[in-house]
Amino acid sequence: MSNVDKKKFSTPQIISAAIILAFYVLVFIAEQTLAPTSMIFTVLKKGATYALVAVSMNLLNGFTGIFSLGQAGFMLIGAYVYAIFTIPLTQRAAVYQYYNGGIVQFTLPVFVAMIMSGLVAAFFAYLIGLPVLRLKSDYLAVATLGFAEIIRAIFQWDKIGPLTNGSNMLRLFPTFNDFNIKNSNGEVVIYLSTLVPLLISGVCIALILLLINSTFGRALRAMKDDEISAEAMGIHLASHKQLAFCISSFFTGVGGAMLAMYQTTVQAKSFTTAMTYEILLIVVIGGIGSVTGSCLSSFLFVACSEWWLRFLDQKQVIGEFEVPLLRNGFRLVVFSIIIMIVVLFFRQGIMGTRELPDLFRKKRSAAKKGA
Amino acid sequence: MADKILRIEDLTMQFGGVVAVDHFSMVINQGEIVALIGPNGAGKTTAFNAVTGVYTPTSGSVYLVEKNITGMRPDQITSLGIARTFQNIRLFSSMTVFENVLTAHHLRRTSNVFTATLRLNAAEEARMRKDTEELLKRVDLYEFKDEMATSLPYGKQRLLEIVRALATKPKLLLLDEPAAGMNPQETEELGEFIKRIRKEFDLSIFIIEHHMNLVMGISDRIYVIEFGKQIAEGVPEEIQNNPAVIDAYLGGGEDL
Amino acid sequence: MWNTIFPYFLSGVSVGGQYALIAIGYSMVYGILRLINFAHGDVFMVAGILMVYISASGVPLWICIPLVLVLTSLLGFIIERLAYKPLRTAPRMSIMISAIGVSYTLQNLVLYVTGGLNQFYPTIPWVSDSITIGSATTKIVTVVTPVLTLLLVYGLVMLINHTKVGMAMRAVSKDFETSQLMGININRVISITFVIGSFLAGIGSMLYFTNYTTVIQTSGAMPGLKAFVAAVFGGIGSIPGAVIGAFIIGICENIIKGLDIILLKSGLIAKPMGLATFSDAFTFALLIIILVVKPTGLFGEKTIDKV
Repeated sequence: MSNVDKKKFSTPQIISAAIILAFYVLVFIAEQTLAPTSMIFTVLKKGATYALVAVSMNLLNGFTGIFSLGQAGFMLIGAYVYAIFTIPLTQRAAVYQYYNGGIVQFTLPVFVAMIMSGLVAAFFAYLIGLPVLRLKSDYLAVATLGFAEIIRAIFQWDKIGPLTNGSNMLRLFPTFNDFNIKNSNGEVVIYLSTLVPLLISGVCIALILLLINSTFGRALRAMKDDEISAEAMGIHLASHKQLAFCISSFFTGVGGAMLAMYQTTVQAKSFTTAMTYEILLIVVIGGIGSVTGSCLSSFLFVACSEWWLRFLDQKQVIGEFEVPLLRNGFRLVVFSIIIMIVVLFFRQGIMGTRELPDLFRKKRSAAKKGA
Repeated sequence: MADKILRIEDLTMQFGGVVAVDHFSMVINQGEIVALIGPNGAGKTTAFNAVTGVYTPTSGSVYLVEKNITGMRPDQITSLGIARTFQNIRLFSSMTVFENVLTAHHLRRTSNVFTATLRLNAAEEARMRKDTEELLKRVDLYEFKDEMATSLPYGKQRLLEIVRALATKPKLLLLDEPAAGMNPQETEELGEFIKRIRKEFDLSIFIIEHHMNLVMGISDRIYVIEFGKQIAEGVPEEIQNNPAVIDAYLGGGEDL
Repeated sequence: MWNTIFPYFLSGVSVGGQYALIAIGYSMVYGILRLINFAHGDVFMVAGILMVYISASGVPLWICIPLVLVLTSLLGFIIERLAYKPLRTAPRMSIMISAIGVSYTLQNLVLYVTGGLNQFYPTIPWVSDSITIGSATTKIVTVVTPVLTLLLVYGLVMLINHTKVGMAMRAVSKDFETSQLMGININRVISITFVIGSFLAGIGSMLYFTNYTTVIQTSGAMPGLKAFVAAVFGGIGSIPGAVIGAFIIGICENIIKGLDIILLKSGLIAKPMGLATFSDAFTFALLIIILVVKPTGLFGEKTIDKV
């Protein structure tokens, strides 16, 4: 009797799916009822973007064990590709004012441009991966960091200004608000500016999850556990590492496009190593090896930085007494301390290696997965 | 005349000034169990590593069914039909017993990353799982299928490693000290197990071992190596009575 | 032609010396712990900030300088004890993440304290004065740096090769576990390594910020990375290698900054190509080339893994 495929989906999985579905429905309802400028939507939009990038990073660093610090570079590529191909023709002269309107004189539909973002990022990843993926983990980290810096320098280079606008901002491209459905008077009839990014993110993350649970996902995890053993079991290390690197970078690129849409402007110099470090720390807090953890942690991080912990940055006066410490920048100090505490004492992060369905499984013996 | 499954010709492995394997040659015929014995540091695992592609030979060649595999990558060699276990068990520590064996099926896939991700390979995935299930049942490990592989007792971990290697559908199986750390009863059961899988999976087996009872009990032929050089070759009775071997390794009839 | 290049060459030698003082810290720590101390560049930056604040509070410079050096060394010691020691048995990635966390924390602390405003380094008499050498007019610190660097490196190499402490450090670099078994006090050796590295970074910061007088929380990031590249280029674990690597990087990066002008003046190009943008990128390109061609660096040793 085989009980390997007894039921198509287990109860915990069904509960998880129901929760996610309910979440999307709630977001849709909230968007139609609450004020569009409400903080909740800022958090959800930015959270969706960061969640996608965090999960991509987790795929590479957490599941495959490739410690790459080049994410900011791929986000930069994705953001630029998206912007370059979607700035409306009528606006090009204004945006590319120093470069005679720029050399790209056509536009692509938004979703096509997003896919292009991913593909171009993946292509660069392939090229970078050729020399870099055979390096040991610490050297790989610095080499990828180096490449991100090189990419940042190139995109600011004057000489390719007609394409990238040099060190000037790219702007006026379609943003999340353009997903709203308007009537003939220009008024918004159905608000979708939060739901659509969440859906895009959701679909991408779902694809990553499908990959992780497929035979290829197992091969990647095997490489992380023991490269020599994995190779002995017939897994070609170089091609599988490239696979992980390119797929992760594809989705990081798409995340970059989403970031462009969220920020409404794109400028190379903002894609610093600090951005990569933040994503890494988000992944660590959520739990290296947990997709659910990365998602939760992203939303938590964005909520705290944009909304809940904002008060730490403001001077508070109670009576005549000014509360010490609270002023601009304190929020980041608090974050840093929280992060160090997690890194030192809670290395498993919020979720460890568990996923959403594991929260609903009955407690098992310590030897089973998730302990 | 049986097929020569493995032919090692004049293999030399040199690391800097150290010659670990010194012009070593051997042959394994189809269906044989051949053992490689010798004192610690004699070059046995190094020879294994040269055969499986972990090291590239300094000189000499390795042939698998007369195909030159010298210097190929380990994954290429595995796909051609050689599988191995390791002296220090190397199971996948983040995976369960089931997943360890299932992962070894990745080699023989026909899907690509797109069809696998989109679950268009459902039939292949089901086949891999069924095969894993059967392999585990054959060694009575199926009841532990959801346990973390590294939480198993030592002897069972070694069995698991062997079964994982079998999942790659090899012609030749290399076992590196499979009985290390086992008590006499487990060792005897292992011997029976090895003879059984030779028949059931149509294998040839190349084994490194120090447990002389096991070696003498299951081997068709034995090679003896010392300081990287072959010092004897023959059937178990010949080896047991060979003065050079006794001198170098076996001692006065002592079992290790 | 040489007259055009010389000023850039000179700044290159100077900044190379400053990078060298930082690079040594990376090299030594990596040699012992196999850890890339991502926070080292930020310790360099904090040393700069400490100098700004302490001298601004009225303490005379001749007390400031040793005080800042002591505090910087202490900072390095504390960071190791708090953030790295607890993770010594954890997987490699954890300790690297901790180093990144420390870097993030230091930068945010300084951002908080300074409000993100540029801080100006106090003028140290004599070294900040101008001097003209050949076709270059520069500060005296530019000349002092390479000399001081070489003296310090010489002293360090003497320490490592001719003292018991140095021998302990060499032993731990070669074989961490066996050294412990042989009775070497690992904690002491590691702490000394961090203290020396931070001390040198402190001196480096004094020389660097006398030249580039603005200090903000991100001032340590680039010099830190470049110093790390220097250490890898020279062969990680090799102090002379790190120093040579640092000088090469300093010189090349400055020549690239002036490349447009140099090429223009020598008639090789007609108008500027904006090549200065790539001066930072050059360092990373060098890193990648060396990692691909000779990963052990110029003077590093190869190790073979046993299977």
